[in-house]
Amino acid sequence: MTDTRLHADEVNRTFGDVAALTAVNLDVPAAAVTALVGPNGSGKTTLLRLLAGLDEPTAGTVAYHGPAATREVGYLPQRPSFRPGFTVAETLGFYARLVDDDPDRLVERVGLSAAADRRIEALSGGMTRLVGVAQSLAGSPPVVVLDEPGSGLDPEATARVFDVVERLAADGRTVVISSHDLALVERTADCVAVLDGGELVAHDSPAGLRASWGGPLVETVVDHVDGITTTPADEDTTAQASITGTDTTREADQ
Amino acid sequence: MTRFAALRPALAATRAVGERELIAVVRSRTYWLLTAGVGVVVASVAAAGSGVDTGYVPTVVDLLVPTEVLVPAVAFAVGYRVIADDDRRGTLTVLETYPVPSSAYVLGVYLGRLAAVLAAVSIPLILVGGYVAASAGPASPVFATHGGVDSPALYGRFLGSTALLAAAALAVALAASAVSGSRRRALVAGLLGLVAVVAGGDLGLLAAVNAGVVGSDTLSSVLAASPTSAYRGLVFETVVAVAVERSPGAVAVGPAVAGLVGWTLFSLLVATVAVSRR
Repeated sequence: MTDTRLHADEVNRTFGDVAALTAVNLDVPAAAVTALVGPNGSGKTTLLRLLAGLDEPTAGTVAYHGPAATREVGYLPQRPSFRPGFTVAETLGFYARLVDDDPDRLVERVGLSAAADRRIEALSGGMTRLVGVAQSLAGSPPVVVLDEPGSGLDPEATARVFDVVERLAADGRTVVISSHDLALVERTADCVAVLDGGELVAHDSPAGLRASWGGPLVETVVDHVDGITTTPADEDTTAQASITGTDTTREADQ
Repeated sequence: MTRFAALRPALAATRAVGERELIAVVRSRTYWLLTAGVGVVVASVAAAGSGVDTGYVPTVVDLLVPTEVLVPAVAFAVGYRVIADDDRRGTLTVLETYPVPSSAYVLGVYLGRLAAVLAAVSIPLILVGGYVAASAGPASPVFATHGGVDSPALYGRFLGSTALLAAAALAVALAASAVSGSRRRALVAGLLGLVAVVAGGDLGLLAAVNAGVVGSDTLSSVLAASPTSAYRGLVFETVVAVAVERSPGAVAVGPAVAGLVGWTLFSLLVATVAVSRR
């Protein structure tokens, strides 16, 4: 059985009268890439923010079950932006100082050593995204949450970012991403959680989803999400996993 | 010891944020233009008056009113959008995933920017003081401060009072920046804060006196609630009073310092609460 790093239990999140998430149950396995997919407005970013501890559910709980760490969850926003006038090394040096980390390690981790002395504002979109990924790794958080790490990038840059994502999971880190690029998700993710209208309509491995929906994700997910008529074969999407280490739970204000 | 150990990460974060802010400001061309502008204004005002050829106290009298406007203006220019920009870039969101309390972030921004503001304001004033020392200062380096003796110490008090005004004005600017959600709103909030600091307090007090809400017996204490009145009172009491007898209704030193420190602490608290609620 795989360890669970994050567990969302009956999570609801509303903004005024709008329900962004409804009764979401999700286990995020350790040392794996979990991808949240779904159309715009399906609740991906809301769920990511809850998993990253940046927001609190209106009802339900989100729990971190991992080792004690200075920084439990690293986060890459959808459009990372940094203070202009600083180099890549200086920017990452700032974040590294906050958690006693080595900025050179962060720069090397995302393959930006050659650009370490370049100004942030002179970087391409892909390189800026990699700086954001490196920032999310400062302090070696056991969990890294990346909000659409490939959006707005050309295919080459997207592939480079996803290569880094794959390596993070291979090194034992728990990675949660959201993405619209289903081909890359199918190639990279170990688990796929499909959201639609704020509800979790499927949660399985890419192979499991292929088997239950009868085709590659690229061809089937959107159809199923649009139609929402098929229930995935594996309904045990919220099974409890063995829990070790430090538990941190964020729950709705009572 | 344990409490200090618990504070260490927050202090380290404050230092990291503060150094980043100072570097960011010092690398900005706008900051150097601003500093040069302050230098030109201060030098022009000093040259236009006769104080620099007479002594430190006359120079302070010449510089007092322009400084009341100039210092808050510099503080707002340096601080009005810094927190709003960090919010817009997503930096505040990202920092929530770090062990950085909102108070450590706000204090770091404040201290880093304050160092820049103090440098921009005090360097031209120190240069003017140096000119006074070379051209009109007392023949002997007297540092006495009792009535009737002009001395560099009095000019030092003027600089200290000006630093307190700068500290209060910058804190108000950061509070305005923190409560506004966008750069445009930050500009509007900053301008409103600037007007409030420079004139709003005085106008409010004037209205209160006219309405009879504030009487002459309480005027001295109430004046300290306005940053510029507190600053003016502080300079009058600690510098100008050497040459001019204290007038009734002038702000006493204690309430004046308390007023400026109060504005600083209250504004930093507002900024911290605003950042933590984002």
